[in-house]
Amino acid sequence: MKIGATHIEDTFAEAFPMRFARLIVTAADDHWLDMACREATGFATSVIGCDAEAGVEQLLSPDATPDGRPGAALLFFGFSSEPLGKALLARAGQCLLPCATTAVYDGLPDAEKRVPLGSHLRYFGDGYQKSKVIAGVRYWRIPVMDGEFLVEENAGVGEGVGGGNLILQGETQAQALAAARRAAEAIAELPGVIAPFPGGVVRAGSKVGSRYKQLSASTNDPYCPTLAGHVETKLHPAANCSYELVIDGITEAAIAHAMAGAVHAAAGELPAITAGNYGGKLGKFHFRLREVLGDSRSGE
Amino acid sequence: MSAIRLTLKEQPGVPLETEVLSPDALADLAHDEIRSLPVQLGKRRRRLDDFFEIEGERSDEIEVHGDLSLLKWIGRGMSRGRLTIHGNVGMHLGAYMTGGSIEVHGDAGDWVGAEMGDGLISVHGNAGGQIGAAYRGSPTGMRGGTIVIDGSTGLEVGMRMKKGTIVIGDTAKDFAGLQMKGGNIVLLAGAELRTGAWMIRGTIISLKPIAMLPTFRLARSYNPEFLRLYARFLSGLGITLPCAADEGRYDLYSGDVSVPGKGEIFVWQPAEAAASR
Amino acid sequence: MLRIVGGQVYDPAHGIDGVVQDVCIQDGRIVENVDAAPTIDASGMIVFPGGVDVHTHVAGGSINFARAMTPEDHRRTTAFIRSQTNRAGVGGMTPTTFATGYLYAGMGWTTVNEAAVPILSAKHTHEELRDIPIVDKSCCVLLANNEILLDLLEAGEMERAREVVAWQIWASKAYGVKAVNPGGVAAWKYGKNAEQLSEPVDGYHKVTPAKIVAGLAQIVDDLGLPHPLHLHCNNLGVPGNLTTTLETMQNLDGRRAHMAHLQYHAYGGDDWSTMRSEAPQLADYMNAHRNFTTDAGAVLFGDTVTITADGPWQHLLYKLTGRKWGNLDVENETGCGIVPYTYRPTNLVNAVQWAVGLELLLLIDDPWRVFLTTDHPNGACFWRYPEIIQLLMCRDFRRDCMAGQSDKALSRIHLPDIDREYTLYEIATITSAGPARALGLPRKGHLGVGADADVVIYDQDDDVARMFGHPRYVIKGGEIVIEDGDIRATPEGRGLLVRPPHDEQIEAFLRPLFEDYYTMSFDNYSVEMERIQQPEICDCIDTE
Repeated sequence: MKIGATHIEDTFAEAFPMRFARLIVTAADDHWLDMACREATGFATSVIGCDAEAGVEQLLSPDATPDGRPGAALLFFGFSSEPLGKALLARAGQCLLPCATTAVYDGLPDAEKRVPLGSHLRYFGDGYQKSKVIAGVRYWRIPVMDGEFLVEENAGVGEGVGGGNLILQGETQAQALAAARRAAEAIAELPGVIAPFPGGVVRAGSKVGSRYKQLSASTNDPYCPTLAGHVETKLHPAANCSYELVIDGITEAAIAHAMAGAVHAAAGELPAITAGNYGGKLGKFHFRLREVLGDSRSGE
Repeated sequence: MSAIRLTLKEQPGVPLETEVLSPDALADLAHDEIRSLPVQLGKRRRRLDDFFEIEGERSDEIEVHGDLSLLKWIGRGMSRGRLTIHGNVGMHLGAYMTGGSIEVHGDAGDWVGAEMGDGLISVHGNAGGQIGAAYRGSPTGMRGGTIVIDGSTGLEVGMRMKKGTIVIGDTAKDFAGLQMKGGNIVLLAGAELRTGAWMIRGTIISLKPIAMLPTFRLARSYNPEFLRLYARFLSGLGITLPCAADEGRYDLYSGDVSVPGKGEIFVWQPAEAAASR
Repeated sequence: MLRIVGGQVYDPAHGIDGVVQDVCIQDGRIVENVDAAPTIDASGMIVFPGGVDVHTHVAGGSINFARAMTPEDHRRTTAFIRSQTNRAGVGGMTPTTFATGYLYAGMGWTTVNEAAVPILSAKHTHEELRDIPIVDKSCCVLLANNEILLDLLEAGEMERAREVVAWQIWASKAYGVKAVNPGGVAAWKYGKNAEQLSEPVDGYHKVTPAKIVAGLAQIVDDLGLPHPLHLHCNNLGVPGNLTTTLETMQNLDGRRAHMAHLQYHAYGGDDWSTMRSEAPQLADYMNAHRNFTTDAGAVLFGDTVTITADGPWQHLLYKLTGRKWGNLDVENETGCGIVPYTYRPTNLVNAVQWAVGLELLLLIDDPWRVFLTTDHPNGACFWRYPEIIQLLMCRDFRRDCMAGQSDKALSRIHLPDIDREYTLYEIATITSAGPARALGLPRKGHLGVGADADVVIYDQDDDVARMFGHPRYVIKGGEIVIEDGDIRATPEGRGLLVRPPHDEQIEAFLRPLFEDYYTMSFDNYSVEMERIQQPEICDCIDTE
């Protein structure tokens, strides 16, 4: 199929089950909220090398937050709840607790599986911490130099999907980059998904394994334009540059929806859009590009 | 399923113990069974229908009409349903209750919600003392739930309470929050003397200036974040708790240091007052 | 007149071990034979002499303070409803006076010794003892922190001290002398304690706990009191206190003493985390030194309230538990502390305490010198004695009770290695014959001719706790008071006293001290004879 001049390859993105948590962070104003979000979701591109994959899911208006201040919903993804819980504690403890004026709430109140949050962070209070149960939920109040850091007792963990992706191929770097940015901005608008790489875009797409034993992943050589003379390239003949978008989502549908939005935002001038997979054997979820775009002609 | 309706027809000469007036006791009973339920009049045992006109059966919604000032233990230990009282009610209303709700269109006596675990009690008139308190000798008073008294109350409101919320619309008498261990007392119109005496933990919020014991120390003034959440919870009960910085701020007093305690009393300072100090 | 026919009789004082024989009763005493008397058919039943409690706290200022402090317990306990035969009351951790009598008699106990009475509250104590029906009562007066006596010991005036003690015993209408934390309670008034036996007590230069103990034991022997010095050692409840206990016993140098509630005095270790049982060592010492008797002061898991004259210990316990604390100061004489407490099997210290009480009962080989008590209400309430009897008689039951305990707790105790099981004969000894002999009550604790007709008849039952908890008949002074769980009669009990001879001149010495140091006038101090219900003055003995 084609959208404008863009060829949509008949392939699929291969994705994996992941565990996720959603924290609602609020602050006195947008500036400090922005600081909190950047810090808490920093260094969180891929669980290959980071403790979690994280990003801002949505900004929340004051009337949509528990305490009536400007807020944001942050999503954190990990392969299982234990490392995810550790990552949450480390991030809340090192990025949110110190950030001026913030408060941290759980965004998955209905999740059965819980990981500790305030129940551990409270020890920073050195015995002066206090707890309050309000409407059945326990919060900790940890005394800090600007007042109190308010943090919920624990956070819910849900079952989500990680690794939804698109590979955008452009005739020039400028063309590919502009399309990638449009796609990332489209994803950023949507609920239930994050694109954890810088600006939502990754140039260092990777494949599984390496010729070096100590590495579990290495550069995705079939899509590197400079290697087209060395390896069997998968780039469109007209493409000289490619970018990948990686999408983690709270449900399969959220990822499919985000992929479709991203394709529509990016397509038009690009020679081709494809998706990454490992032959379908590793990941439980397969997002066929033509299916998510609603094209009935797709299929095996 | 319509409500069971009881109307007092004979005023007892001495206090009448009517713990059977509770959804738990009545919900599964037929009309005749309800009529014959035992009530204790002093040292004598009588029947419920000696004192009440009774309509309806098999409902966990109960309406009671009449001046019940001498009726004790109404709603004792109830765990579900709705109990509505049109008239005044005597001591120990909703003591030990663990769920459901009680609404009183009138005044209530002492020990409303004493040692309750959960549920909601609202009294639209005044109430006596020891609201949500621990009975004498017990280490712990109410452990959860909510009590809202629109009017004034007597002594020792929330004595030794551990969790939950008590809201008093008009003045509370001395020793509100005595030996409090946790939970919240909201004094919309302040309190008389010795508020928070011996409090170990917990929070008292007063929207009016109150006489502070010398064993409470003024910390600083601020706008606590948790009160924003709490205000949202209270707004569900129709109660407004100011918390925005442009409206004013709270003076925080810590104590009671004679225990020594980690309790706190927040006293609201509206913006003009805060500025003129 | 009454004849109990066909029961298996256990009468250790006469070496009768389960022999089927008749017991005849006339005029409140056991007699050789009665003619044409009503009979109780006790075939298949077990006949014991009525139980004797050598150490309990049932009357007076401290237990009453404990009652006042624990209304929450009264609310949850089952009440005695007034009937034709009995008055209203409540049981629980601190039973009311009348209920105390019903509960003791209800499990077959007919004599109790109130173990701690300050002279200043002796009037109150006797008023309460009057209101404990059915059982006979004696009491021990607290003297080891009495400032008048300590001053005399400081001055080395032993003769005068002996006269004062004799006067004080009669003034308080007591039966014996009790020493609690000698010197420690006096020091507590300065916020201190007495932890070393040989160090002077705060406020004194020469008086040490060791001197107080030796002096009082000497005086008790000199006066010929039928019950030896009733001694609660220093450092009760403290890990590592075995050293203090053994030193105290060595310090007595062969003199008689009743070592109260030794369970609380048999611990090793350095602190709460290393505390362990040293019961075997203490039992060895008891076995080798026949001048001592003791009672177990056993602990059972559950809620109770601790009351003791040992004020400093109670303050420590309050600090440990954070629960309620009552502290009484009895001017010039003693003090008292009260703390509600819950013994938990999951608590290492409590698990050790539970084991130590049983270990002492099982390892001290002479049942005539170790008696069943819980130091009511400190270790458990007296109405739980049947549970302890079951633990003593049934090794498997003990093992079941230990099944849930942690390896750490089990490594601190010796109970798992003890196979001994008490026989009925031995139970009759530790609950009746032994304590009666230790108290020096010749008409108690046996079923020989001339004994008080205090008899308890149990249905044979494999469930030991049920059997001892629910006697079929209890007979007090020849009258059936309990039958099948019902209270049939509630006769008044007797007040057991001694009147050691003393020089009347001693009043001339005491009177000015009262005018200077007491808030109560000397003339109001003594308990009048009229306050004692059915008084019976027991003979002093020759202790040589």
